[in-house]
Amino acid sequence: MKMNSKNFFLLVAIGFLSIACNSDDDEYTDVPIVFEKPSNFPEVMYDLNGYPLSKAGVELGKKLFYDGRLSSDGIISCGFCHIQDDAFTHHGHTFSHGVGEGIGTRNAPPVQNMAFQNNFMWDGATDDLNALSLIPISSPIEMDGNLNTIVAMLNSDAQYKSMFARAFPNKPIDTEHMLKALGQFMVTMVSSNSKFDKYRRNETGGNLTAVELEGYQLFNQKCASCHATDLFTDNTFRNNGLQPNPQIDDKGRFNVTQSETDKYKFKVPSMRNIEKTKPYMHDGRLFTLEAVLDHYASQVVDMPTLDPLLKQNGSTGIPLTAAEKTKIIAFLKTLTDEDFLTNPKFSEN
Amino acid sequence: MKLQLKRIFVVMSFAIAFTSCSSDDSNSETTGKLVVEFDNVYKAANFAFNTEYTNSNGEKVKVTTAKYIVSNIVLTKTDGTTFVYPKNDSYFIVDESNSESTELVLNNIPVADYKSIKFGIGVDQARWQQGVEAQANFWAEAQATEMEWGWTAGYKYVNLEGTFTTPSNATAAQFQAHTGRSAENYNYTEIALNFHEGENALVRGNNNPQIHIMADLSHILDGTNKINLSEGASIHGGVKMSLMTQNLSNMFTVDHVHND
Repeated sequence: MKMNSKNFFLLVAIGFLSIACNSDDDEYTDVPIVFEKPSNFPEVMYDLNGYPLSKAGVELGKKLFYDGRLSSDGIISCGFCHIQDDAFTHHGHTFSHGVGEGIGTRNAPPVQNMAFQNNFMWDGATDDLNALSLIPISSPIEMDGNLNTIVAMLNSDAQYKSMFARAFPNKPIDTEHMLKALGQFMVTMVSSNSKFDKYRRNETGGNLTAVELEGYQLFNQKCASCHATDLFTDNTFRNNGLQPNPQIDDKGRFNVTQSETDKYKFKVPSMRNIEKTKPYMHDGRLFTLEAVLDHYASQVVDMPTLDPLLKQNGSTGIPLTAAEKTKIIAFLKTLTDEDFLTNPKFSEN
Repeated sequence: MKLQLKRIFVVMSFAIAFTSCSSDDSNSETTGKLVVEFDNVYKAANFAFNTEYTNSNGEKVKVTTAKYIVSNIVLTKTDGTTFVYPKNDSYFIVDESNSESTELVLNNIPVADYKSIKFGIGVDQARWQQGVEAQANFWAEAQATEMEWGWTAGYKYVNLEGTFTTPSNATAAQFQAHTGRSAENYNYTEIALNFHEGENALVRGNNNPQIHIMADLSHILDGTNKINLSEGASIHGGVKMSLMTQNLSNMFTVDHVHND
């Protein structure tokens, strides 16, 4: 009996709290988020003035990111194929499956450091981070979502109504604001606290071993012309000499530009959290980092659009000894950012 | 006599009605409505779905989908000044299968005599650069009418689909002819049309002129540039798309202007 009345008291208290909470809604003041560029990163590409970040905006974006109701079957959310533990890739999946029987033809790329990029997807199909979400949402083999259905769902959901009102006061719940919220959340997904970052910024925990340092030097000599800056991509499209898979014949950047010179070119991916994002390459054909380096060392296929950097002095590929490969891989593992992989700010609740 | 009085009364009431009407016009109505009708035709015939049309290269097409984006409407007055229809309201999807969509109703047009119209086909670079702020909800509209290019978060500017046969192959095959943005090639095109001499659109508070535009869909494939579907029946980029975009410049003509 004593227990019961205690429970009752708790319930009443919770009841009051939630009432108080609800009435707070009208007076909620959103908190702007100041985006801080890590000192070792290149410039921000995202228009932070045009699309300022706020606490409520980012929270709403995160809820949308993990909401399967954005897809036609109510299950496939963004987070379904972009899993935090795997640096927001689809661990172990060469291709990902979407709604129904749909299976894609490309390996899900990591969602990280998006604010520092000006083109997205393996072929750069869009240059607008806010618009980006339209691609997987509307793709019949990914989420197959219908925007009008989604907007109706958002407008009939009490929690969304409250969250939208907080993030975008006096604005309609529509495609524009849904995309803006998803954009805000993705902008905050910054991975910049790996051992390598700490080394670069002379912070505690940033002592690279001799092997890792040698690997870094080798990487700079042999890889960094494409995997440039501390983001490890120069944001360009290149043909890295993978034999096209005849069953798919994915022509990459050519699909966007229809220019012969862009055939079989794909975006240079970042190396960040690479240890966690297997399988590798645009089509996930290689399962280990060793296999990736073996490709560059000895399996590069010559093609008309092969990147000139992979064909120097009449021979294809990048000369790499076994010892060099080991050192480079040791270095690449310093790019794993546990903070990013476990940060509850990015986790599904 | 009685009859005459009655007549006078009738005439007078008309006069009163007319006076009150025209005084409304001059005092309060500074804007009016304008309707732009897009009437799809195929060469010399009114356009119809699933009807066989023969192109000059001998290919016979039957169209099942005919849609295009009309945007950025600008009207020129007889004094040479222009009225730019508000950009945010100036994106329309004309869909042959939905007759309502073929008549663009433009509200709040300043009262004036207009002699020409300019519009775009597709989405212009400036609009793209406005980002989701400006585009997102139009994108939802485009998705609902299958005018979105989902894979690139873009739009089909022109969407012509159907089946075709060639002189050497009588088996009907599907074709899809789309134009849209291709990376830095925006493919947006503008059409400027003068109304016939002496046939201005007189926008008044009580007069809603209608501009009747003929859109000859044959120009998409069989215009200045000839597109052979036999060489590739799925066009969504490249040289062919640029050629189709060029063809659009001759696709539209002003048939007449109604002033009711």
